[in-house]
Amino acid sequence: MADQPLLKLTNISRHYGAIQALKGASFEVGRGEVMGLVGENGAGKSTMVKIIGGFDPGFSGEYFYDGEARHFKSPTAAEQVGIAIAQQELSLIPTMNVAENIFLAGDGVPLLASKSRLAAMAKPFLEEVGLGHVNPLRATNRLSVGEQHLVEVARLIAHNPQVLILDEPTAALGETDSIRILEMVKRLKDRGKSIIYVSHRMDEIFKICDRITVLRDGESQAPRAAAAMDVNSLVELMLGFELGDMYPARKPITRNAPVLKVRDLWPDGIVEPISFDVYPGEILGLAGQLGSGTSEILGAMAGSTKTRGGSLNYKGETFLPTRPKDAISRGIAYCSEDRKHDGLFLGRPIMENMSSPSLKTISAKGILSGQRELRTTTENAVKFTVDPKRLPQEAGVLSGGNQQKVALGKWLSISPGVILVNEPTRGVDVGARAEIYQILRDLADNGAAIVVASTDIQEITNLPDRIVSFYRGVQIGELHLEDMTSANILEQITDPFHEAGIAVSEKAS
Amino acid sequence: MTDVTASTGETPNLVQRIRRDYSPLVIGMVGLFLLVFVAGAAFTDDFLTWFNVKTIIRDAALVGIMAIGLTFVTLSGNFFLLSMKEIAALSIICFATLMSADWNQWGTIDADPTSWSLFMTFLVAFTATMIIATIAGALQGALIGLGGNPIVVTLGAAGLFFGIGSWWSDNLVVSYRRPHGAEWLGTGSFIGDIPNITVAFVIIAVVAELVLRYTTFGRQVYLVGANRAAGRATGHENFGMAIKCCIIASVCAAFVAVAFSGQVSSAHVNYFSSEFGSSGDMTIMVIAIVMVGGNSIMGGYGSTLRTSLGAIFISSIDNMMVLNGFNSGARVLAVGLMIVFSIIVFALVRRGSRAVE
Repeated sequence: MADQPLLKLTNISRHYGAIQALKGASFEVGRGEVMGLVGENGAGKSTMVKIIGGFDPGFSGEYFYDGEARHFKSPTAAEQVGIAIAQQELSLIPTMNVAENIFLAGDGVPLLASKSRLAAMAKPFLEEVGLGHVNPLRATNRLSVGEQHLVEVARLIAHNPQVLILDEPTAALGETDSIRILEMVKRLKDRGKSIIYVSHRMDEIFKICDRITVLRDGESQAPRAAAAMDVNSLVELMLGFELGDMYPARKPITRNAPVLKVRDLWPDGIVEPISFDVYPGEILGLAGQLGSGTSEILGAMAGSTKTRGGSLNYKGETFLPTRPKDAISRGIAYCSEDRKHDGLFLGRPIMENMSSPSLKTISAKGILSGQRELRTTTENAVKFTVDPKRLPQEAGVLSGGNQQKVALGKWLSISPGVILVNEPTRGVDVGARAEIYQILRDLADNGAAIVVASTDIQEITNLPDRIVSFYRGVQIGELHLEDMTSANILEQITDPFHEAGIAVSEKAS
Repeated sequence: MTDVTASTGETPNLVQRIRRDYSPLVIGMVGLFLLVFVAGAAFTDDFLTWFNVKTIIRDAALVGIMAIGLTFVTLSGNFFLLSMKEIAALSIICFATLMSADWNQWGTIDADPTSWSLFMTFLVAFTATMIIATIAGALQGALIGLGGNPIVVTLGAAGLFFGIGSWWSDNLVVSYRRPHGAEWLGTGSFIGDIPNITVAFVIIAVVAELVLRYTTFGRQVYLVGANRAAGRATGHENFGMAIKCCIIASVCAAFVAVAFSGQVSSAHVNYFSSEFGSSGDMTIMVIAIVMVGGNSIMGGYGSTLRTSLGAIFISSIDNMMVLNGFNSGARVLAVGLMIVFSIIVFALVRRGSRAVE
């Protein structure tokens, strides 16, 4: 670490209206250093990243880059001196090929360049990010989401930045792609680049970061060496108090009669029909990486994903939901992995979000009862520790954790017997995460059957009572509580046929 | 980043609430519009005479009722019906043809305007028109609900309806004899000197606002408009919403067609393309009102109350410009400017709110 940091921000404040996002926070990163930036949702991480990258010029405080005072007015200005941000949302043009996307900005490229010329130029950058095997002439939308994220980073590297900011690069990625990202970070660091790594994933932070800066409520803690900390002390710093065991205790479950029988369900994207049972009072985990088909299975059970065939047996009735309405009317709730897409009405008040699945129960003859709506939504908001005073506010102003609580909490209004949750805590901070686990456990203890699909290996190991595992659209096996170790699960979801020597395609045929 | 906004407990007063709920840009725009309105009213001779005000509220009622219908479509996230004037054209031809049909005369001809026989003629023609409009709306709604692009579907439907109306009437003016039952709706007034069509406008505006606020249907309109995917996931399919909202818009257009026909005792397919409002084009005029009222084009945000105010505002500005001798080109320009201005303001506001997140 050089004596003078490459990038240094001191006493940074930023407020949006009445909201103080940053209160005199400081941040620095040295040359060739990987600096972790962590904090709960709402702590000010995104604001800090935006300020560093020049997206948000409306801050006060000192900003030094390479010893010089700066105040970037636009992202382009920051880019020119060598600060690049890989944002959570992809900004690639899906129909263009990989090489074209890498040189999208058009600088450093001859005026007329053939596709093969571009491809040759793109190759080194792809290798840099660990995509040496990808043909640069491939259309970008044919790559996996993880590979697309890496292409995005390759594009930034093509500009030879000095500081690279990665804002939750692995949030939407499976295990293999995450490892690629981490390896790329290490390679860049070895070449003397500075990297700011924003993430919720504790294991990654400790794997690659040299130092860690913690933000809490818009204030910063002095950066600490990662080697001098462990997960518990870091979480404590983030929350400001000690967090007990994040995962609630499991109670012994007597499995007599299944409440829901899934028979020969065959959603698109699954290799062969699948069957399993769900028992009341348990949390069943569907384990699998991205692309393993667990999302499709939950979607099909809720009627929101297309299904080729099969049936559900619930409360003595055999049916196959073809639209979400069919499942909701029978008391099956489904919370998808993408709350902004189909989990929330961001522009509408929280109260309307909370009551949206149950308009029938809060109305009589088509007329809404304001009182009844207020009563049930307040009740459910309290259960999910959402401040009832905030019910009239728009859902869009909530932090990620609170949004997830609303997206989940709205289903309490239909008193569901089965709750299907895909990625219950994606993009959710540690504090809210523990709350969501506790609520799911309480619901199960009260007799509901809960099916959780997750790609987070810690979550899938510690939350469910039983696991059914999937690998590339094939149902692998079932794990009971005593066998549910991370190692066992990882083996089943990453390389289940290795020992037997059978390729997946063979089993499929 | 905004988890610190928890309310402090005390209830804010009106000014505080406006400042909290609306961005300075929107407040500025409304202020500017009000200023233009007041200045125009003060400096235009004859503007505030009862005769002129009556003209304004009658004109505003016609475009306003149509715009309220269209607001349902817009709020539900199904964009606009570009076929509003063609639905009205088909409706007015249908209405006038039935009013003048021999089989639809129910008594002596020289009866007084409110007699049973004239009312029966009116009722038959009115009912048939509404049925046709309902079918027209349901057809478009179903196509949109199945996933058709609203612009393409309604442009196609526009040609269809206009063609039928034009063919049916041989592209001629269809007139019918006074007195007739539609006069009561078109030019009559039973509350003092207030035109009946204005009374209808007020009633429709109030009912529409109540429906949107206090019924499950209204709530579904907002939810599906705010996020169609989330609407589907919570059991509110756009298919049904698109059909219902398009029917509402079509029926409103047909109602306006009937009222307008009642004013002129005749019908022609071009009435809503050439002889109407400042731009002469009813569809543009109605869309302008929805936009200037500040309803979100993407759906999920707005109200029919805003639309009603937009109708009164645009009609007043139009009227002022007429009184001040501007030609129709200048008036079209003014409406265009208002649309562009409000779109820019609302786009800026949306971008601002995204930065806060």
